Amino acid sequence: MKKISKLLLALSFLFSITTSAFAVTVASWGGAYTESQKLGYGDPTAKKLGIPINWVDYSGGLSEIKAQKEAGKITWDIMDVFAMDTINGCDEGLFVKFDFDKDFPAAPDGTPASKDFFTSMPSECAVGNILYSWNYAYNSDNVKGTPKTIKDFFNTKKFPGKRAIYKGALTNLEIALAADGIKPGKGGAKIYKALNTDKGVQRAMDKIKKLCTDPQGGCVFWSAGAQPPELLMSGEVVMATGWNGRFFNAAVGEGAPIVQVWDAQGLDYEYFVLVKGSPNEADAKKALAEMTSTEGLAGSAKYIAYAPWRKSSIAVMEKGEPWYKDGKTNMVPNMPTAPANTKNYFLVDPLYWADNGTELGEKWEAMKAGF
Amino acid sequence: MSSETKQILTTDGIPLEVSLKKAEKKNKIKAFLLVAPLLLFIIITYVFPIGDMLMRSVDDKMVTEMLPKTFKSMEKWDGQDLPPEEVFEAFYFDFQKLIEEEREGKLSTQLNYTKNGFKSIIKKLRRKSKSFEEGNYKEQIMSVHRRWADVEYWRAIKRRAPAYTYQKYLKGIDMYENEKGEIINVPEDRRVHRILWMRTLEIAFFVTVFCFLMAYPIAHLLATLPMKYSNLLMICVLLPFWTSLLVRTASWMILLQQQGIVNDFFVMIGLVSDDNRLEMMFNKTGSYVAMTQILLPFMVLPLYSVMKTISPSLMRAGKSLGGTPFVAFWKVYFPLTIPGIGAGCLLVFILAIGYYITPALVGGASGTLISNQIAFHMKSTLDWSFASAMGLMLLSGVLVIYWLYNKLVGIDNIKLG
Repeated sequence: MKKISKLLLALSFLFSITTSAFAVTVASWGGAYTESQKLGYGDPTAKKLGIPINWVDYSGGLSEIKAQKEAGKITWDIMDVFAMDTINGCDEGLFVKFDFDKDFPAAPDGTPASKDFFTSMPSECAVGNILYSWNYAYNSDNVKGTPKTIKDFFNTKKFPGKRAIYKGALTNLEIALAADGIKPGKGGAKIYKALNTDKGVQRAMDKIKKLCTDPQGGCVFWSAGAQPPELLMSGEVVMATGWNGRFFNAAVGEGAPIVQVWDAQGLDYEYFVLVKGSPNEADAKKALAEMTSTEGLAGSAKYIAYAPWRKSSIAVMEKGEPWYKDGKTNMVPNMPTAPANTKNYFLVDPLYWADNGTELGEKWEAMKAGF
Repeated sequence: MSSETKQILTTDGIPLEVSLKKAEKKNKIKAFLLVAPLLLFIIITYVFPIGDMLMRSVDDKMVTEMLPKTFKSMEKWDGQDLPPEEVFEAFYFDFQKLIEEEREGKLSTQLNYTKNGFKSIIKKLRRKSKSFEEGNYKEQIMSVHRRWADVEYWRAIKRRAPAYTYQKYLKGIDMYENEKGEIINVPEDRRVHRILWMRTLEIAFFVTVFCFLMAYPIAHLLATLPMKYSNLLMICVLLPFWTSLLVRTASWMILLQQQGIVNDFFVMIGLVSDDNRLEMMFNKTGSYVAMTQILLPFMVLPLYSVMKTISPSLMRAGKSLGGTPFVAFWKVYFPLTIPGIGAGCLLVFILAIGYYITPALVGGASGTLISNQIAFHMKSTLDWSFASAMGLMLLSGVLVIYWLYNKLVGIDNIKLG
C-alpha cells in the first residue's frame, strides 16, 4: 500500500521536474517579495556564478517538500521558510545542516558570518535572509489624534473603531501582554517568560477578548498579508497589525495615508534552507552563499522594506542612500531594525511557538468561538 | 448433467455448454478490459489514498521503535508518580542511540504532538546529555528542564507505546486515552474540535436550507418559462458558476463590508444611520451569504432537470380534480421533485461540509471550519496522521449522511438529470 502510494507521488512529480533540470530551484512566497529576491540577489548571483536560478512560488509550510521526499523525487533545492519550519524541517531531516562560518562568506571587514548576522540561527539548517516586523498601522484619515504606543492599539476609548489582527495566536499574545503592561525586556524575554505560564497565556487571551468583544472596538481577522493595508484603506478598520513591508508598500509605493507604529513591534525572521538530497545540492549551496553575502542581502532591500540579516549589509545601504528603487526614499529608517524603531520590541521566539503552537492554536480557536 | 440425456453438441463436436461458457468467458474478459481503465483509476486515485490515510492515522510504530527500552521498562510503571530510575536510564540509552542516528528531532516532533512542550526540552536534553556522567540518570535528566521532572510528560511518552493507536481519532473529538486506559476529555479551554465540527455541520446545514429555499422557485421558473426567457435565466444561473471562487468571495466582501456598497446604499436612502452601519461581513452572515450564492447552481441544476420532466398537465389535472393550487402543488408537484431535491441537497451539503476558503475569508472569528484545521495540520505541524484521522472522520460523516438519506428517501430516487 505504502509503496504504491509512493510510486503515485513519484509519478505526479515526474511532470514537474522537466523545468528544473540543471537550474537551481528556489521555492519562495511569490509576489513583491520574490520579485525583490530575484532582482536583489537572484539575478546577480546567477550572472556571477553562471548558475541559472529558477524561482517557484509556494504557500509556505513543509507539506510539499515532505511529499517530495517521501516520493523520492525532490525538485526544490532551496526554500524560503519561517523560523518554525526550519526547526521542524531540520528535526525531520529534510534540510542540510550547515557549518556556518565555513559555508557562508565573512563580511567585507573579515567578521565571520556567524558574528555578522544579528542573532544566532534557530536551527543548524537555517541561514537568515530578511527580518520583518509585525507592527501596526493606522489610516491617518480615519483616526483622530496620533496613536503612538501599543497601548493605544488596545485603547478603544481614545481611538474607537475596529481593529484587524492576525487570525492565529502568533504575535497577538505577545502584543497583548506588552499592552497590558509587561515590558518586553531584552528581545522580549519577559514576555515569553510570562507566556510560559498558563496564567500569562490567560492574561493575554483576556486582553484580546476584551478588545474584540468591546462594542467600541471589535476585531477583524486577517489571513493574507495584503489584507491589513486593504482593510485600513477601505475604512473597515481603524488600526491593523500587519507586516511592515506591506504597509511600506501602501504608504510609499502607492501614497496611501497609512502610518506605521513601531512600539512593541515583533521582529520575525525569514530563512533560507538547503534541501537535503536535492538535484543540484552542490550548485545550490554555492548560490546560497552568494545570495546571503553582504552585497546580496543588501540588494533585496532596494525593492522591499525588509531588513537584511547582516549588519554589514546595513552599512552598505547607509552608504548608498537613498537606497529604495525610486531613488529618493531612504531605506534604513524604514527598516524594522532601525534604532528609532527598536526602542521597544520583541523577537518572535520560534522555539516557543514550535513548542506550544498547537496547544495555543486550540486555545485561541476556543476563545474565538466564544465571541 | 445426467449421463442418460444426450449431450447437445455444437457443429465442431464440443458440448454446447462448454462452448457457451467459453464464449461467455471471452465476453467477460472483454467487458472487464473495457472497465479496467476506470477501475484502475478509481483504485489508484481513491482506494489507495484512502487506505494509506487509514494506515497513517492509526500507525504509531515509529515511536514504538524509537524508544524500545523505555517502553519495556515502563510496563511496570503505574503512572502515578515519576517513573523509577530504570525508566530514565532506558530513556537515556534510547535517546543516545537516536542522537547517533540523528533521529532525535523526529522524536521531538512526534512527542510534541502528544503533549506540547517536548520540542525545546528534547533539544536541551541533547545538548546537555553530552556531559552526562554514568549513573543516576533520573537526577541528571530532571535537572535539564523542570518539565522533565513533570510526571505529565512521562505519561505522555507512555501513551505512545502501542504500535497501533486510535488516539488521533479521540483527539479529533477533544478526548484522549490516558495511561490507565480511561478515555477522558481534554481541558475545557482546549476543546476546539467539537466546536469546529458543530460549526461545520451548522454552516453546511443552513447553507443547504438557504440554497433550497432560493433554488426551488428559480428552478421552477426555469422549467416553466418559454425557451427564449429561460435560456437567459439559465445563463444568469451559470455565469457566476463559471467565475472563479475567489473572485466571487472577494466581490461579496466589497459589497457587504461595513464601508461597502450595500451599506453605503442603506445609508444613502436613510435606512440605517452612518455610524450604525450593519455588520454583514466577517461574521456568520457573511459565510451564509457568500456560500449560498456560490453553491446555488448545484441546487438549481438538479432541481431544474427534474422539474423539466414533470408535465404541466399533472398540475392542471390536480386542480381540475378539486384541489386548490396549493394542494395540487403539495400533493402532486412537490413529491415529483423529491429526487431533484435529494440530489441537490446532498450535493450542496457535501460540498459545503468540506469548504474552507470562503468562510476563512468572510467568516471572521467564526470562519475556521474543520477543513481549516486539517489543512493546518497538513501544512504547519506536519502531523499528517492527525490530519488523516480528521479527514477520515469527515469522510465517514459524509457516508453517514448518505446512509441516512438512503434510509429516508432511498438512493434510487436521486436524479441528477
